[in-house]
Amino acid sequence: MTAPSLTLTDKARPRRASRPLDERLLFGACVLVPVVALVLFFLLPLATIVWRSFTEEAGGIGVANYLALFRTPGILRATGNSLLVGTATTAVCLVLGFAVAYAAQRTRVSGKRFVAAALSLPLLAPSLVLGLGLIFLLGRNGLVSNLLGIRLNIYGFPGLLIANVLYALPQAVLIIQAALRQSDARYYDAAEVMGATRLQQFLGITLPNVRFGLLSAGFVVFTVTITDFGNAVTIGGDFSVLATEIYNQVTGQMKFGIGAAVGILLLLPTGIAVYIERVAAQRQFGTASESALPPVPDRLPMRDIPLFLVTMTLALSITAVVATVVFASVVRLWPYRLDFTTKHYSITLSGGYDPLWTSLGVSAATAGIGTVLLFALVLGLRRMPPGLAKAVYLLAVLPVGVPGLVLGLSYIFAFNLAGTPLHMLYGTALLLALCNFYHYHTQGFLTMVTGMRAVPAALEEAAGCLGGGVLRVLGDVVVPVMIPTLLSVFFFLFMRSMVTLSAIIFLVSPSTNLAAVTVMRLDEAGFVSQAAAFSTCIMAAVAAAALAMRGALALAGRRKAA
Amino acid sequence: MDLQIKNLLKTFDGFVALDRITLNVEEREFVCLLGPSGCGKTTLLRIIAGLMPYDAGELLMGGRDLGAIPARDRGFGIVFQSYSLFPNMTVAQNIGYGLKIRKAPRDRIAARVGELLDLIKLPKVADRYPWQLSGGQQQRVALARALAVDPSLILLDEPLSALDARVRADLRTEIRDVQRRLGIPTIMVTHDQEEALTLADKVVCMNHGLIEQVGTPQDLYLRPRTRFVADFMGSSNLLPTAWVRETMPHLMPGRPDGAESAFEACVRPERIAVTPAPDAEGRVIDLTFLGNIRRLRLSWRGRELLAETNRDPGVEPGAAVDVSVAADACAWVRA
Ligand SMILES: Nc1ncnc2c1ncn2[C@@H]1O[C@H](COP(=O)(O)OP(=O)(O)OP(=O)(O)O)[C@@H](O)[C@H]1O
Ligand SMILES: [Mg+2]
Repeated sequence: MTAPSLTLTDKARPRRASRPLDERLLFGACVLVPVVALVLFFLLPLATIVWRSFTEEAGGIGVANYLALFRTPGILRATGNSLLVGTATTAVCLVLGFAVAYAAQRTRVSGKRFVAAALSLPLLAPSLVLGLGLIFLLGRNGLVSNLLGIRLNIYGFPGLLIANVLYALPQAVLIIQAALRQSDARYYDAAEVMGATRLQQFLGITLPNVRFGLLSAGFVVFTVTITDFGNAVTIGGDFSVLATEIYNQVTGQMKFGIGAAVGILLLLPTGIAVYIERVAAQRQFGTASESALPPVPDRLPMRDIPLFLVTMTLALSITAVVATVVFASVVRLWPYRLDFTTKHYSITLSGGYDPLWTSLGVSAATAGIGTVLLFALVLGLRRMPPGLAKAVYLLAVLPVGVPGLVLGLSYIFAFNLAGTPLHMLYGTALLLALCNFYHYHTQGFLTMVTGMRAVPAALEEAAGCLGGGVLRVLGDVVVPVMIPTLLSVFFFLFMRSMVTLSAIIFLVSPSTNLAAVTVMRLDEAGFVSQAAAFSTCIMAAVAAAALAMRGALALAGRRKAA
Repeated sequence: MDLQIKNLLKTFDGFVALDRITLNVEEREFVCLLGPSGCGKTTLLRIIAGLMPYDAGELLMGGRDLGAIPARDRGFGIVFQSYSLFPNMTVAQNIGYGLKIRKAPRDRIAARVGELLDLIKLPKVADRYPWQLSGGQQQRVALARALAVDPSLILLDEPLSALDARVRADLRTEIRDVQRRLGIPTIMVTHDQEEALTLADKVVCMNHGLIEQVGTPQDLYLRPRTRFVADFMGSSNLLPTAWVRETMPHLMPGRPDGAESAFEACVRPERIAVTPAPDAEGRVIDLTFLGNIRRLRLSWRGRELLAETNRDPGVEPGAAVDVSVAADACAWVRA
């Protein structure tokens, strides 16, 4: 893409009336390529799944698949269970998430850094690691059962609830904390002078102002929970839920139509969540001011001591669960024989560590392709007419509304069609990488947009006026400013891609097996210690990536300062 | 009720933000705290409100010590520079909040809200949210909210500074009218000297945590006591003693005793009379037309002077002019 533009730049140009042709071509391509990719790998699969959900087994068009849902007892029960566990997880996550976010944002409770670090642990691992850890701790053959000499039964609803809470809590905290940040010390000063007590201020100002944050966090948790796959498989036991049921219907019984119909229904809660988020953003837009004074965190023993106990308990629980997995992977027979061994690290499942390497390759591809496409898109968007830019923007944020499970399903429908040109991609690592990228497209895109806002348009113009060609300006002005953002997006995509399970579970084949799937298979096969060992390897890789990101960001920061 | 502040001291980690401030606010009085950015105006206001602790000194309201009374029990009203309306409440809920806290019956709150909306001339916005109001309207609502609980003191922290000039001028007179009518003692922070001059019964001019001068607007303008006040309140010619003794000896009798450099003469530009005269010593350097007045820069006896007149002086740059200053036109200020 760069070579032809270069030669064009070097050519003597006619007087520039508007934008020079090469510039327009370059920026046009910048938008066109990512948009075409979005259409092919996001819109098309989505359209296919909608189409398939209305395609009846006999061949006609109609709602038979949706009606069949009601006649499939497994689906009905699974739906009920999913709603139950989803609602319970959401309720618990909102209460705990609010406590953690409030403690972090509005108080001076000690140990905040530890709590924040502990809460980031679940993001480093596939969701099922939490289920695995819980089984090690509280399962039938777990530590507690062993110590107390009883046989706890964690499988089923209670285990799934705890695992889901631990998994979804960090995401809830992030959203609620962002909502709590949107405030102004003067609200509280005014209320104080008007005579409101602490409790009245909390109930009258704090809570109402985060209600959109709470709602949005609630929907995110609910969606993550009902579409999560890993924990349901690991710790769900006989408690069948929608995610596992779809997987069985589609890969087990080949009932694609029903799978598609459930997939469409699963779009509803996220759809609502996204809508609420937009409404909230607009509301917030109305009240936010540049000169907002953030409320000053203070101390209040009556509130802080319980908060401290709750947040510490949570942080310690999460740490304990994850640490147990690591520990169990290096002892002979957890929890009975605790002598050190590395034997679980020789994986007996066929393929051994191949899936880990595949995962690393796929994740690198996800990150590489994703960063380039997103950068190009955001770069080009700056120069698009506002109307067009807005349309592309909407398209680019749409993927957040599609749960991984639905995206994975839709990829089967779109790409597993013999005879179409796209069928070539089916079963390749490249398709896995693309699926992961579009799964996390929105978050990457928004980060990129925010980063691009920091590139001063005036600087770019100044460089342009000094006679720099497009590529000069890009290289000298845009890229240097964007390096931290590019790094963040790259590593974000890499890390998510390493641990996600819900989308790619439908797409892996024996030749392109992925790490998170292997952990699941090992666990299913009863090799729990090996599953723990494999999980540890994944976590190590992701943690290394996180450290590499920090290092790279620090380096970039230092270079900038110098 | 009156407010007495005695020897109030406030430090931030050793930095003295308020250096033993003493100030009285009488009943029904409108006091403006005026001073440059960072001089401690907001700090003083927040301490009076009870939103910030202080290190030493006394704060008395109607003779009662405020020191131990938390902000929420002081019964004051406060308005901030901008955006302090609760975003989650409608205008009516915002205004009624203080009464609701005090457990007033619903119909009384509604009646009071209606009354206040009329007072601030916004009868139709009761059900809107703050973000649906303009900046000026928001500030009116903030004022109504502060007034709702019949405060014994109103505190205003640059309530007008986020508004544009027209709205600011309108709202200024409105605030003044309301305050006069209700007779509630009021302290307003501003760094706009025009605002202070037009609104205040008493202006408190602050600098670096110290009160430079307290007085009526006329006092501060016509009889500034320090060079800082003279400079801060409008423009002025500040003339060293030696030069005055030589060129305008008739101004010397008013000078307080003190070292040569301890005092300077402050002559407001409009008190310098300029008359064209063919062979006079003064020269017009340039002339600026400012609408209602014309400003002249003159060079006279080795100094540059600023003069203002509201009539056409009938001179061009370079013209020769006579310069005279009446004996009572000068205030001696501490340098
Ligand atoms: N919380 C604080 N901690 C440390 N220093 C502070 C704090 N608040 C104010 N100061 C300092 O105290 C001094 C007075 O601040 P204050 O906000 O009262 O100024 P101001 O007169 O209101 O200025 P402005 O006109 O800009 O609002 C400033 O030098 C400021 O830096
Ligand atoms: Mg201030």
